[in-house]
Amino acid sequence: MRLLVVEDNEELAQLLTQRLRAEGYESDVLATATEARAAVSTTRYAALILDLGLPDGDGLAVLREIRHQKDPIPILVLTARSGLQDRVTGLRSGADDYLVKPFAFEELVARLEALLRRPGQLLGRSLQVANLAFDTESRQTFIDDKPHVLSARETAVLEVLMRRKDRVVPKKLVEDQIFGLSGEVASNAVEVYVHRLRKQLSERGAKVQIHTIRGVGYLIAEEKSA
Amino acid sequence: MISFKSIFSRIIFLHVIAVVIVAIVMPLVLFWFVRSAANDLHDQAMREQADAVARHLVLRPDGGWTLDLPPALEAIYSPAYGRYAYAVLDDTGKVLFSSLRDSLPVFPQDFHSSPRSPDVTFMATGKGGSAMSGVSLAKEMSGRTVWVQVGEDFSHRDVIIDDIVADFFRRVAWIVLPMLLLLLAIDIAIFRRALLPLLTASEMAQKISPHRMDVRLSAQDIPREILPLVQAVNQALDRLEVGFRVQREFTADAAHELRTPLAILRSRVDTVTDRTVTKALHQDIEGMARIVSQLLDIAELETYSIDPEEKADLRAVCAEVAEFAAPLALAQGKSIALSGTEAAILINGNPEMLARAVRNLVENAINYSPPGSTVEIVVEDEGLVRVLDEGPGIADEERELIFRRFWRRDRRRAGSAGLGLSIVRRIADAHAAVVSVENRPMGGADFSLRFARVVRSGA
Repeated sequence: MRLLVVEDNEELAQLLTQRLRAEGYESDVLATATEARAAVSTTRYAALILDLGLPDGDGLAVLREIRHQKDPIPILVLTARSGLQDRVTGLRSGADDYLVKPFAFEELVARLEALLRRPGQLLGRSLQVANLAFDTESRQTFIDDKPHVLSARETAVLEVLMRRKDRVVPKKLVEDQIFGLSGEVASNAVEVYVHRLRKQLSERGAKVQIHTIRGVGYLIAEEKSA
Repeated sequence: MISFKSIFSRIIFLHVIAVVIVAIVMPLVLFWFVRSAANDLHDQAMREQADAVARHLVLRPDGGWTLDLPPALEAIYSPAYGRYAYAVLDDTGKVLFSSLRDSLPVFPQDFHSSPRSPDVTFMATGKGGSAMSGVSLAKEMSGRTVWVQVGEDFSHRDVIIDDIVADFFRRVAWIVLPMLLLLLAIDIAIFRRALLPLLTASEMAQKISPHRMDVRLSAQDIPREILPLVQAVNQALDRLEVGFRVQREFTADAAHELRTPLAILRSRVDTVTDRTVTKALHQDIEGMARIVSQLLDIAELETYSIDPEEKADLRAVCAEVAEFAAPLALAQGKSIALSGTEAAILINGNPEMLARAVRNLVENAINYSPPGSTVEIVVEDEGLVRVLDEGPGIADEERELIFRRFWRRDRRRAGSAGLGLSIVRRIADAHAAVVSVENRPMGGADFSLRFARVVRSGA
């Protein structure tokens, strides 16, 4: 799995590749928009980390061009720009995520992996939080590598939470995941399934915690050793 | 002077005044002309009549005068008819002949005090109920002068002339007033047309906002008198647009120049093996990054104003902030919750900017809350966003101070420049909202953003 990093600051680019290699990702570094265009059209990369301020042009132009060619490559924009319109413009131009410098490297990796875990992307197969793993193809749940059986709806809730680990999953999204888009849903249905899932996981020794963010949604994270 | 908000009504008002003045003065002047023409006619006729009488005056050889008027003339002057009168006076003022009873003169002439004109004098006299007007004509015959007076009683004046003069106003009014009204209507149409380019320019000017810096007033069809104004406005807009662009470019450049080194620094710090050092450095870098962000926010807000078309849903904005801040709160062993209305609360505003304001309040609340507590965001139907925490609250004397730039309660606290709440206030101002803080009865602060106008409330 190879990543493409387009960043004109040599020092930052070098640090990035080093850290990414430590996380298990090989990456190529390019410094100009022209090179980036050429590379994306000839090589298949797992994801693109793109800086917007490039010496020979705007990274946004590269972004639009790639999307114009219907290339579904996940693109994480890395930028110093944080103006009111910048993030919106970036996302509308086809970026999958937007990270403002300076960033915590852990956050970059987390977001990158979130992109790679999306359905159809390379990391999509196996989702992992602490000792809890979920295989998206066999729809099997593993705790400490031992398979466990959960009900279909509990599994659906677990999958949507694990795809966005450490981030809040809006309640509406969980609801849609359980019931699809049809059918009447009892107002407390999501609470019921989350409660059951929470109970199942803790009984079976999963070191994860499902937090309720009241009024917003749910978040799965590694259990804190209290 | 009445002050008018509109040029149009000002012009119309002045025009109506002018029309009224003309409507009054013009008939008066015409009336004066008609009357003097009628009087001239009368004087002329009187003079001819005096001549006619004089022609029949004969000086007898014995020095006496004989007046032998033909019956037709005699009839005109008969007292029964009563309209005309004649008298002939000699130069001593003695009445020789008179159509009037008692041989009275038509006009009593004062031969001693007033020097008479040598030829003819026009005279008028009031006599009882009637007014006589006519001439006194000097005639010389064989070296002797006589005065022939002919007068007309105005109470029996020529009916035609009388009618014309008496009916004058009525007749003239029927002609003049409709003409003036027609003129007024035509002028209103002309003014409207003449002001049209100005109106178009005003409408265009209304569209100009910080979001539409590209709009310029069209100089086409603009009257020459107003053209300099339009050009001046356009030049001012050019300069303003350059100013805005420079400001934006500066902010973007500053962001790049400040943030890239911070990003490098942050990555490099991770290579330090001593975890306690790394942790401390990370905190310092976070603090610096936060200040850089806030300074850039402030720079951006300086020139920012709300697009009047833009709508934001307060409930959605708060949900997004809660999602964003939840991992931060959980990392510190705290939690966050969103409550209040479930419906969309639409206001006129920029969602990204509002999210920044709420995020600043929420981040503050999280930082000041004790572990295990929950920061609560409440959205209420009437356009109110509250952020409640269980921290120490705000001292009464600091309630205003905290919203000032660079104000900090504890100057030793690192990683805070005291900018967050000033940004919140600036964003609130831009949205015509009021930000304030209360202390909760059970302890903790209660920050509220109150929006003046809810566009639409409901899902």
